[in-house]
Amino acid sequence: MTGDLLEKLADLVVGFGANVQPGQLVGVTSFVGREEATRAVARAAYRRGARYVDVVTFDDRLKRERLLHAPLDSLEYVPPWLPERLRWLSDERAARISFSGPQDPHALDDVPAERAGRDLLPWLAEVGEVVNAQTTNWSAIAVPTGPWAELVHPGLDPAEALVRLSEQVTHVCRLDEDDPVAAWRERMDALTGAAARLNERRFDAIRLHGPGTDLTVGLLPSSTWGAARFQTVDGLVHHPNLPSEEVFTTPDPQRADGVVTMTMPKELYGQLIDGIRIEFESGRAVRIDAERNAEALRAAAAKDDGGSRLGELALVDGHGRIGPLGTVFYDTLLDENAASHLALGSGLSMGLADEDDRRRMNSSAIHVDLMVGSPQLDVDGVTAAGEHVPVLRGGDWQV
Amino acid sequence: MLDRAAATDKLAELAIYGTNLQPGQILAISTYPDKEELTRAIARKAYQRGARWVDVVTFDHLVKRERVALAPEDSLDFIPPWLRNRLLWLSEEKAARVSLSGPQAPGALAGLDPARAGRDLLPFLPEVGEVVNARTTNWTIMPAPTAPWAQKVYPDAEPEEALDRLWEAIVHVCRLEDDPAAAWDARDAELKAGAQRLTERRFDAIRLHGPGTDLTVGLYPSSVWAAGGAETVDGLHHHPNLPTEETFTTPDHARVDGHVTATMPLELYGSAISGLRVEFAGGRVVRIDADEGAEALRAAAARDDGASRLGELALVDGAGRIGPLGTVFYDTLIDENAASHIALGHAYARGVDDEGDRARINHSTVHIDFMIGSPELEVDGLTRDGGVVPVLRAGRWQLA
Repeated sequence: MTGDLLEKLADLVVGFGANVQPGQLVGVTSFVGREEATRAVARAAYRRGARYVDVVTFDDRLKRERLLHAPLDSLEYVPPWLPERLRWLSDERAARISFSGPQDPHALDDVPAERAGRDLLPWLAEVGEVVNAQTTNWSAIAVPTGPWAELVHPGLDPAEALVRLSEQVTHVCRLDEDDPVAAWRERMDALTGAAARLNERRFDAIRLHGPGTDLTVGLLPSSTWGAARFQTVDGLVHHPNLPSEEVFTTPDPQRADGVVTMTMPKELYGQLIDGIRIEFESGRAVRIDAERNAEALRAAAAKDDGGSRLGELALVDGHGRIGPLGTVFYDTLLDENAASHLALGSGLSMGLADEDDRRRMNSSAIHVDLMVGSPQLDVDGVTAAGEHVPVLRGGDWQV
Repeated sequence: MLDRAAATDKLAELAIYGTNLQPGQILAISTYPDKEELTRAIARKAYQRGARWVDVVTFDHLVKRERVALAPEDSLDFIPPWLRNRLLWLSEEKAARVSLSGPQAPGALAGLDPARAGRDLLPFLPEVGEVVNARTTNWTIMPAPTAPWAQKVYPDAEPEEALDRLWEAIVHVCRLEDDPAAAWDARDAELKAGAQRLTERRFDAIRLHGPGTDLTVGLYPSSVWAAGGAETVDGLHHHPNLPTEETFTTPDHARVDGHVTATMPLELYGSAISGLRVEFAGGRVVRIDADEGAEALRAAAARDDGASRLGELALVDGAGRIGPLGTVFYDTLIDENAASHIALGHAYARGVDDEGDRARINHSTVHIDFMIGSPELEVDGLTRDGGVVPVLRAGRWQLA
């Protein structure tokens, strides 16, 4: 990957993504192997007048040592300074930036799944709280690395794989446009428009049906569809995911019934889970199967009461830039924007307009996105009267 | 051909020996980009020994470069509160601590305004001195070789050869060849016996004289000379520096007069300082000159009242393993153990015995070592009745 792409990614995430303001603190969560991207982000942020760029670096290979060798009953321990730092960033109304793309796809190979699911770092239980408080302007962006490229393009030699992944990230981040920020404004306007039309319909539920999937997800009376264009309590507009192609809402955690088959593998806390199939009854995941590493997902879902209920439902049309590539990126940020998806765990309070509904929203220390969408997935809106209205057919909006 | 993986493993074992890590303890590691392999190996051995959690913080001097180059001037001494609180937490938890030394990115701050660079002391934290003096943590600073460091030390060698040579030097000075624990136990006993002989003399002052240097440093009535391993308040023996070859004490910061010429270049918070000359009068630095980087030291010495006074005096004999290599490592841990040195700033309470004297030791948020020793440097002890007793001549101890 050229330094030029890194500079462009850094400018996009600092400027358009997080919308860093002069005088702000900027918290960066980085990983070993992303030093150059981190430095480029620091440079871009200081150029915009940031007061201090606060970097914390994680290493999945260190996590491996912990998971293999630390006492089993210590694996859920979180050092107090990590949540303290997050609360400080929230109190200071800081910007927050992170990177996506697995650091080292094989870091947790051969770690027993029941151990892997216990250490959720760098995820912190307080993240949901801080996101819902809307105190920080934040953004995550995909940054290519060699190990990630080799995972995505195993048939190419390493240098070619990195070139290919860099081209794809350039494309999906719309950095091949003359004016990437203008292109993003236009796409986010379109997604915000689709969300507004869905909101007008006030569906009671959404039914997803296609190969291996027939699931009806209840909505709350004030469930609100939105796109990844957020505002802080201070009115700072920011774009939490780059790229983003989704329109999402917060469902009723008590009403999900049926079965879903995931259309993509899932990378969870360093483990790859394949062929996931989940059965829901009255909102709860009552059965989780997978062809590989089902135990890792079961452990995450068993983390707390809300870990087995839905916190998010998101629809992705066929006009985004990720789905048409037909590539599995083994990265939630990219893959969730390729296809419609569900998330187990914490809900986003901004997906609910009403205070009472917000109290009913799912809460959990986890938030695990699972991809169910494909061109074959039909999506219907179910009205309060029981009428079924087509919403997505063949990747095209019907509303 | 050196087996780097095997040497990494032995260095990781040395970290466990150095800290004397106990089962159930938290181990903190301060590390830098390119030192991942050793960091992970230490974590592995720590967990195998029963550590509860290995708490790693990585600091990148190339991110710091962006800050020093671009951040608002009045923000440069900001320290994020969690970083300070983390250190106090480690102290309360009676944790073990390892810091990996060796410059991460030599010249990281090259070309930047040294006055700006001198305002940002990170990753150094002002609370370090307090935590060290509280003796709550069992800690070790030890080297972690990397390619950029190797190229700085051996600029004429090919990169791979330079890295091999640095590893060979580290294996040698860290005594990793056979049984490092036994070797350090023996050297520790030897250094402690020498320190004991110096303490027994109860010198009033030490005079250092040689090419470009003639400095007299006053001692307290209860100044004690220390070396090697230390003990925590809970009685855990640990080795603060590996390697270590020095015998050091805490001087009377009100009685330092004369001038010194540094015998080695110094890397200070990322700035290179060479050809350094410092003049003292009445205990205080009154003049700092250098061929390169004087401004960085001037800024650091102006940080607080104690930053322009002495906090440490250390003597290194010629029998250690570092001095004879004649190599400048651009790393204080190793270079300070090559040669006798003094430090501006924070003083170790361990270097004075008496509570009254302890109340008088120097305080500062900085601690800056610089090397003034060489085989030509002569060291004398001055007795209270005006006697002059040779202490070091040509690198050899003169005290029986």
